[in-house]
Order: sequence, then C-alpha cells, then structure tokens
Amino acid sequence: RTGEALRAFHTAIRSSPGNSRNQAMKEQAQGTMLKVLTSFKSSEIEQAVNSLDRNGVDLLMKYIYKGFEKPTENSSAILLQWHEKALAVGGLGSIVRVLTARKTV
Amino acid sequence: MAYHSFLLEPISCHAWNKDRTPLPSNSPQPQWPIPIPMTPWATITPLCLPGIDWAPESNRLVTCGTDRNAYVWTLKGNVWKPTLVILRINRAARCVKWSPKENKFAVGSGSRLISICYFEQENDWWVCKHIKKPIRSTVLSLDWHPNNVLLAAGSCDFKCRIFSAYIKEVEERPSPTPWGSKMPFGELMFESSSSCGWVHSVCFSASGSRVAWVSHDSTLCLADAGRKMAVSTLCTETLPLLAVTFITENSLVAAGHDCCPMLFTYEESQGALTFGGKLDVPKQSSQRGLTARERFQNLDKKASSDTANATLDTLHKNSISQISVLLGGKDKCSQFCTTGMDGGMSIWDVKSLESALKDLKIK
Repeated sequence: RTGEALRAFHTAIRSSPGNSRNQAMKEQAQGTMLKVLTSFKSSEIEQAVNSLDRNGVDLLMKYIYKGFEKPTENSSAILLQWHEKALAVGGLGSIVRVLTARKTV
Repeated sequence: MAYHSFLLEPISCHAWNKDRTPLPSNSPQPQWPIPIPMTPWATITPLCLPGIDWAPESNRLVTCGTDRNAYVWTLKGNVWKPTLVILRINRAARCVKWSPKENKFAVGSGSRLISICYFEQENDWWVCKHIKKPIRSTVLSLDWHPNNVLLAAGSCDFKCRIFSAYIKEVEERPSPTPWGSKMPFGELMFESSSSCGWVHSVCFSASGSRVAWVSHDSTLCLADAGRKMAVSTLCTETLPLLAVTFITENSLVAAGHDCCPMLFTYEESQGALTFGGKLDVPKQSSQRGLTARERFQNLDKKASSDTANATLDTLHKNSISQISVLLGGKDKCSQFCTTGMDGGMSIWDVKSLESALKDLKIK
C-alpha cells in the first residue's frame, strides 16, 4: 500500500504538464496531484520527499502552493506537512522559485 | 575577517582604488562621503548614487546616478573635479564599469539600454553610443571581458547577455575569442535563456572564457565558452543572491539576501556547479540552557520551544549587495570585500577562511 502511494506520487511528478498552456490539462494534473498528496500518511511523507531530485522538489513545492490556493476540507493540514518536509530539502530557494516561476503548474 | 560599520543607511555601492583605500557610497541620502587619506570623510555633492567605479591606473572615478547623468572625476591636487558625461538616457542610470584599459566605460540604465562612453580628443568631451537591441528591461549589472571589447550585461528581462562594445575610434579590431570572432559594435554574442528572475549580477572569469550570473529566482548560472557556451545552472537553497565574483577560474563567491558569502565550485569536466559552503560561520557561542520557564514562554509566544535565532549570526546584519575582489585578481583572489544594506563593509581573507573552515575546497 505504501509502495503504491509512492509510485503514484512519482508518476504524477513525472507526467506533470510543465510547459503546457492547456488550462484543462493543468487543472486535471493539479487535481490528481492533490489526491496523491492527501492520500499519504504523515510518516511516509519524508521518504517520498527524499526520493526526489532537486527539480522534483521544486515541482512538488509548486504543487503544494497550488494546493494551498484551492483548499478542500483537510487538504491544508496534510499540505502543511508536505511543505515542512519539502522545505527541509529544498530550502527557501525552492519557495523563491515558486514565486518567480513564469510557467506555473 | 574585518568588519567596518560605516553608515546607518545601506551602502549602495563601493569601489577601491589602486592602493586599496575604499570609497563607499550610499543612497538614498544625498550626501556622498569620500575618504581622502589622512582626513576622515569629506562630503562632495548631493547625488543619489547607485553606481561608482574607480579606474586604478588612470586614477579616475566614474559615477552614475538617478539624475540620468554620469560624471568622470579626476583628482586635481586634493580635490576631485567632475566632468559631466551626457548619457542621453531618460531613466536613472543603475550601474557603471570602467573597461580594463580604462579608455571607455559602460553605464546600464532603466532606459533599457547600455551607454558606452569614450573620450573624444578633438572635442574634448565624453561621447556615448547606445546598445539597445534586444534589451527589454532595466540593465542591473555589467562586467567587461579582459579584451576590453566584450561586455556582459544582466537585466531585469531575466537574461544575461554578452555584447560587443567595440569602439573603432579608441581601439583596434579585437582578435577572435571563444565567444565569437565578428564583433561589430552592439553585436549580441550570447544570450541566456534559463532564468526566471532578474539578473542581479554578472561576472566574467579572469580569462574571460566563462561568465557567471545570479538571478532573483535563487539560481546561479555559468556559461562556459570553452564548452560551446553550455550553461550550467544551480538552484540554490538560499534566498536570492545579489552579487557574484570569480575568485579562481573554477570557484565563485556569491552573496545576497542571506547576508552571508558562499562558495560555489564549477566542475569543468561535468559542466556542473556545486555549493561549496557558507563562508561566514559564526564562532560557536556557549549554549545557554533554557530554563523551564523560558521554554514555556517560547511555546506560548512562538509556538515552539526552539531557541532558533531572532537575531542573525552572520557578520553582515542585512543583505549583502556587492562583492569586489581586493587582492589577487579574479584568478587568484586572496582577499575580497563585501558591502551591504546594513551600512557595513567586510574584508574577507581567503587563506584564513580555508584554514578556519576545514571542508572548504577552493579549486
């Protein structure tokens, strides 16, 4: 079960439509990502974050902030935990790159 | 490391003369202090100065200001005499740099162009030519290539570019470089594509075959002409860096909003930039144990019993805005200087840093 969440996570990160201008596709990806992130147990988050490379952490941070923008019930709580772990790996620089990015997720 | 606190306001820029007596300037306060040896400070003129540069051989200063002008200052006796240079810009000038041979200087401005100024002997005045295309926003920083012709410019349109600033009136045709061989005035030799932030600072390496820049999206990039202008990018974990300089051909020191200079290393074989470590490691002060009362107070006030700092441990207490090489040049720097928005200037000695920080490797 743990392995599945992790695999879903990596797939979602890999298939993120980075340069797309298609709004519908982006929103679908956001929704999928949010589902994956909220399905994790708190104890598994750190392992998932550590399995990413630098670009992956930056991308994750973008999705976390996107998730903050459209909060659903209980999503913010788990997203805050993701944020804490991602911050520990990516540092303030990853947040700065969310703010300055010209291509949003 | 020596730290000198000059002012209460931020130091906007500084410049060193040949003998290494410094000249910090500040803005927005209109007074402009200049140190003259033996006397402490003398105010010169009311100016708002974002840019100043000192030509070590000819001992001339050039300053550029928000009044859209530049002045070239020559020392007559004990007094600095200014000569106005009309830049033909309609926005503030942001940065200025003498060329290596000191026969011209470049000014970057908010008018989205670079003014290259040279002295016309027959009319006895400074004339300027403009580089406009394809700059789309304010030019924040400039650096000259050692061949006196190529100029790197970092701008708010997120790009670092290398232009040719060849002025046929004052110099001979330059020989080919790894950046290109045809160099008419204003020719774009290189343009970066990767950054998403304003390019705060650019720097050529001592040989001129590499150019590095730092940008507001917390990245440090390096373009290597020896590897067909391949660009290596490092996404840092820090707040954006504001200033960068080479200290050897493979090592860079950069600093910015984290108030601390940091070392970065370029590995040519892999074309990779790596973080080498912070250069400002405060001495370990003895940790006072927290009393139970303080712990509860912290929990109440800050929701955590962590003693993590409310005050900065670093030497500079505010962002560092400029780094300059003091001794040794950009290929074998032995001392560099930082000034910041805390009104202070620090001098860093590379050898002492190497011995104090054991994991530091400067290649």
